[in-house]
This record gives sequence, C-alpha cells and structure tokens, in this order.
Amino acid sequence: MSSSQINLENADLEKLNDKDKTELRQFLANEQQRSQIQAQTHSLTQICWNKCITGNIKNNKLDKGEEGCLANCVDRFLDMNFLTMKHLNSMRN
Amino acid sequence: MDSSTVKQAVMKQVLAEANMANARVLIEKLQENCFDKCIPKPGSSLSSGEQTCMTSCMEKYMAAWNQVNSAYIARLRQEQANNSH
Repeated sequence: MSSSQINLENADLEKLNDKDKTELRQFLANEQQRSQIQAQTHSLTQICWNKCITGNIKNNKLDKGEEGCLANCVDRFLDMNFLTMKHLNSMRN
Repeated sequence: MDSSTVKQAVMKQVLAEANMANARVLIEKLQENCFDKCIPKPGSSLSSGEQTCMTSCMEKYMAAWNQVNSAYIARLRQEQANNSH
C-alpha cells in the first residue's frame, strides 16, 4: 500500500489548475455522498439482519424469503422514518 | 508533478481510504453479528461446525449488505424522482 502511494506535499496541491480543481471538487462531493450511503447501509443492514435472518446459518446464500424480507425491511424502515419526521413536524404546530 | 498527476493522486488516495474505511466497518459488523449467531456459547476452542458457520455467515452478511444497499439506492432514486415533479 505505501509503496504505490504517492506522497503529496501541500506545494503539489498548488499545482492544480482551475479545471482540475473543479473536477476534484465534484469527485469529492460524489465520494462524500457514496460514503454517506454506505454508512446508512451499514446501519440498515444491522437493523434488517436482526429482523430477517432469524434462523441458524445453513448456507452462505440468502434464501428467497430473506431477500424479500431485507428489501421490505429497508422500504418500511424508510417509510417509518418519513412518517416520524412528518409527525414531529405536525407536533410543532 | 503536473496538475493532472496531482489530481489523479488525490483521487486515488481518497478512493483507497474510503474503501478501506468501508471495509473496516463491514468486517467489524460482520464479526459482531456472526459471532452472535455462530458462537452462542464459546467453548475452549472453535469447533469445525462453528468455523463452517462463521464462513457461511460472513458471505451471507455481505450478500445482505449488498441487498440492503441496492434497496436503499432504489428508494433514494424513487424519492428523488417523486420530488422532482
């Protein structure tokens, strides 16, 4: 890992021209979004694993029931999330 | 180094670090959950049954992560489409 890593100095960053700076900003914004989605996926997987994978582990694949359960679990959790926000909003008024 | 080389290097490093961080969380969670499932009563050594369970469970947890990730992204896209008109 360290051998392939290029050591960047602050001085190197000053070599970036405007076009590359814009491109980098866009790249970083995308990466930030990707990591947020991954973080949310970790937390949803935890929640839905507990709900959907209830039996003993018999093999390394998800069965049809578990697959469907996980997809529903994500959708219903998000429904609940929206509902909570809506209700909290209505309680303020 | 010219501008383009610097840009590429920054991107490469950010990607490597982000992927490493994601993998680290995945491994941590998978160990927690599979330890719970496969080793309910830790004995004096890992039995072969426990080891088989652990490796199946690891693969299953990763499959579950991918399934949840696709469902989540599909929902985000749908919400975005609903909000745009």
